[in-house]
Amino acid sequence: MTSKMPDGKAMRDGQIFSARLNNVVTTEREFDELVTKSLPELLDRATSQTKRFLRETNQWGDDITHEKLALRWGYELVERFVVFGRTEVPCRPFFLLDSLIAKSFSQPDPLCYHKELLTPVGRFLDGLASRAVVSRDALIALFYHFYGFSQAHVVKLLGFGQAESQRVYKNFERWRQSGWQRTMNETGLSLSEIEVLEQELRARPDHLNNEVDRLMPVLQSHYRKSEPEHYPCLSEQKWGQLFHDDYGHDYRVWHLAFCRDCFMEVADHRQAELSNGSKPQVNLHIHPLKKGGVLALFGGDRGGRQHGHTRAQRLSRTSA
Amino acid sequence: MDTPELNDYRAHLLDALDDQPRRAAEERPVFLQVLVNHERVGSINCAEPNPAFACTTKDRSIQHLEIRSESGVLLGGCVAPEAGQRNLRLPVGKGSLILSVQNHFDGGSLQLRYEGAPGWWSQVASAIGLPAGAPSTAAPKVPVWTMTTAFAQIVLAVGVVALLAERVPNWLGSEDRAHQVEEEMAARQSTQDQIDQVHRQLAQLVEAQSAAMAVSRGEQDRIAQLNTLVDTVARTQQKLSSQVVAVQEDLKTVKTDVAQEVQSGMRVAVSAVEADRDMVRQDLQSIKSVNETLIKQVALLESRNRELHARLALTSLEVAKANAAAPKPTVVAKNDPPKDTPVATAVPVSDAIREADRQAFMFWVAFQDGTTEKSIEELVQEINGIKKGPMKSGWYSVEVNLPHPEPPDRFLESVKRAKIVKSVVTSKAMPPAQ
Ligand SMILES: [Zn+2]
Ligand SMILES: [Zn+2]
Repeated sequence: MTSKMPDGKAMRDGQIFSARLNNVVTTEREFDELVTKSLPELLDRATSQTKRFLRETNQWGDDITHEKLALRWGYELVERFVVFGRTEVPCRPFFLLDSLIAKSFSQPDPLCYHKELLTPVGRFLDGLASRAVVSRDALIALFYHFYGFSQAHVVKLLGFGQAESQRVYKNFERWRQSGWQRTMNETGLSLSEIEVLEQELRARPDHLNNEVDRLMPVLQSHYRKSEPEHYPCLSEQKWGQLFHDDYGHDYRVWHLAFCRDCFMEVADHRQAELSNGSKPQVNLHIHPLKKGGVLALFGGDRGGRQHGHTRAQRLSRTSA
Repeated sequence: MDTPELNDYRAHLLDALDDQPRRAAEERPVFLQVLVNHERVGSINCAEPNPAFACTTKDRSIQHLEIRSESGVLLGGCVAPEAGQRNLRLPVGKGSLILSVQNHFDGGSLQLRYEGAPGWWSQVASAIGLPAGAPSTAAPKVPVWTMTTAFAQIVLAVGVVALLAERVPNWLGSEDRAHQVEEEMAARQSTQDQIDQVHRQLAQLVEAQSAAMAVSRGEQDRIAQLNTLVDTVARTQQKLSSQVVAVQEDLKTVKTDVAQEVQSGMRVAVSAVEADRDMVRQDLQSIKSVNETLIKQVALLESRNRELHARLALTSLEVAKANAAAPKPTVVAKNDPPKDTPVATAVPVSDAIREADRQAFMFWVAFQDGTTEKSIEELVQEINGIKKGPMKSGWYSVEVNLPHPEPPDRFLESVKRAKIVKSVVTSKAMPPAQ
């Protein structure tokens, strides 16, 4: 990683920061200033510790995918460190970072590492799901990326009223404007990788959708632990009751976005109730729903056509 | 590995980190998501009147707390001690989030309250030093905060013991360890109470001082009182330390890297605590004249605390790794054990110890003349023994498995009391000479 600092001067500065990161920082302001200047060092330190952890737990391979994973997790650790650290002054930044990292890795199942998820499509899905744990925009967007549901479908699926559907529309809007791109950047999926995925989806949609269908349980069993523990799978009858008696709105969003089986059941049931729709199925979308997708609300299948998939069109019609 | 693609990615991430404060500042908080230990537990709607949120966790304490916007931007958060309290006021948007975490070792509770931007009156009031609105218990004034940290060392040492308390039964698997752990916990609790008491008094003292700016008789009394309190803490601490030594003794039998790591970490923590406690005591004595010094001192102590904390955390990393590699992890990695991992060293060690716990004990017994074979059999059965080999010149060799705490002497006494028994002897292999 020395290519970032080719000249001797920058290197010297780096060393100065290193020393300062080992010393006590006494004020919030001092902490912020120092951290802003030393982000490369902090990121490299967190990344190399992540690598060490992966190596020592037999989860390492010498390739760019693993390097990217380590960078991504290192990044997430530094992000927390930067925000948490200000509340911890006076402190020694390096020590604090180390202790934060050690604490994170001593949690049960700290990283979602599965060999099957190292493919481009696996990394794409993993990036979406891990973002959905911290971002409601991404959480709502899962319904679109996994099943091709537009905002109108999502509102109907979840049985939301006026105020909540406003929120869903905002989620879609922010995701379209910046959330998706930021997630791709932070996941380390390059433009060309995304383009290849998009091409493959166009050429062999069933092949890729089957792959998604296969990977979803792996992914969801890891990230579903991020929901409160009192959110288990429900029987068909219980789901029906929950919608009928109009409660558990948060529950619906969280569980259905992260549980394929319950989603299929509820979506099937509610589509049959709300329209004469066909069976719901996995229907991967790589890019976020384009702005024209809003029209799906008013204009039948136009939202689906925006993205050029026959499956999407079929689903859109069911909501019109 | 150094490829353009990787460098590009790294540059992206650095930009994102650099941009983080700006993104956080731009967020207008409406729905705030609350994440505890990286798991989402709920949200606050700041648009509602008196937005608040509370939750409790079981099994694990609240170690990480994150507040994120609807789009996932990290707005604030903190790490909390594994046991004890953490109170914070985080600026979020124009208002602030008042949070209070209360942890014990097997769970915790969290309370959050969002306060919108203060009106002009409360700003004026605070500027001229008037209390504006109800004083919040969750956000005491600055001196109290710095004082609190001075005692973190003591809490930390207790934390080390507690860490051991969690791990040691796994290694040793004996019941009297559990008892010892209970005692340690009790000692911890009483130390904690006393520390809390000192906190309160210290806080009062500091406030009184800055207000009065003069030495009064009453303060001197209070300082004397504080000194006795600190002494009490010291005594409890000593008791605790001796228990720590006992734990160390036990650990010596566990010859693993993990044990050594923990041992050295503990020694450092304990001695540092003792040194730091003396420093705090000195500071207390000079508190009347040098308030400033104390605050600096506290900052130093705090940084030392971080060092210890980091060391402690790294130790737990070692433990975590050992466990992540084990086929049946106990402490971490409940799901997804990595495949094809080597067997961790901790496993055979603990087995060996458990084996040793069941003391196999052998002795020789002679019976009264005329005792029937049947009643001999009955006695042997009653003590759950096994006869080893045939009778040799009037002596039977018997082997029993004694439960760990039972001393062999007491056991032999009870055998001797049996009517049919003439004599009992322990000798390794040969029957005693007639
Ligand atoms: Zn996983
Ligand atoms: Zn389910």
